[in-house]
Amino acid sequence: MNPFSRRRLIRSVADDRFRFELPEDVLGMVADFADQLATMLESDDPVLRRLFPSAYPADPDLDASYQILARSELTDERRAEIEVVRTTLSADDISRDELASWMRVTNDLRLVIGTRLDVSEDDEPGDEDSPAHEVYGLLGLLLDEIVDALSRDLG
Amino acid sequence: MTAPMEIVLEPDTEDLTDLDKVWKVVVWNDPINLMSYVTFVFQSVFGYSKEKATKLMMDVHEKGRAIVSSGTRTEAERDVKKLHAHGLWATLEADE
Repeated sequence: MNPFSRRRLIRSVADDRFRFELPEDVLGMVADFADQLATMLESDDPVLRRLFPSAYPADPDLDASYQILARSELTDERRAEIEVVRTTLSADDISRDELASWMRVTNDLRLVIGTRLDVSEDDEPGDEDSPAHEVYGLLGLLLDEIVDALSRDLG
Repeated sequence: MTAPMEIVLEPDTEDLTDLDKVWKVVVWNDPINLMSYVTFVFQSVFGYSKEKATKLMMDVHEKGRAIVSSGTRTEAERDVKKLHAHGLWATLEADE
């Protein structure tokens, strides 16, 4: 089941703002998963390694000093972006920065779900039809639409 | 009156040999990130043209990795952190 048709799902409106034109339950689903991500950020779930990768894989000492600072900064950024998703869920239209937060949260959710599903590059859409694969596919479509909307007037 | 206590946030871990080095920021292929997204991230983080960003993305996709920027260790680390904020698999390495 695919609630998306080929039409644009995110429309540019006046003053560099954007409007979601997709079923509200899809946005609600993203917001629900974003809430779960916020909870997960407080945990030591091993899947978080994908969101906070090693910067110096060959040098544990340098990497440890990177992680001490980067991990808390990046966690704070992620929390703030999840908050943007929460607060703009029902907005008529949103700013470019807010849409960029939706983009990063959507991508984080794909990373978490894709890592859990052990997605590989050779997978074709429709290979698997579990609910989790369906959500993963939907998030991919949404992300692609957000990127497309934000790219329209980039170089 | 007294000045606020100075807090050292970042210990100076760069030893002298690091100062001579150029550090490269490497982005690695992964099976999850979308090609359109990776291209967009290279454009927005580094200000690269669509052409340059697309070429780097294709290098990552086809060769498994690409050097996307370079600089001092501090600069390269800052770039890596921005890429990590976007969920890309980025590392830095000294140019030997």
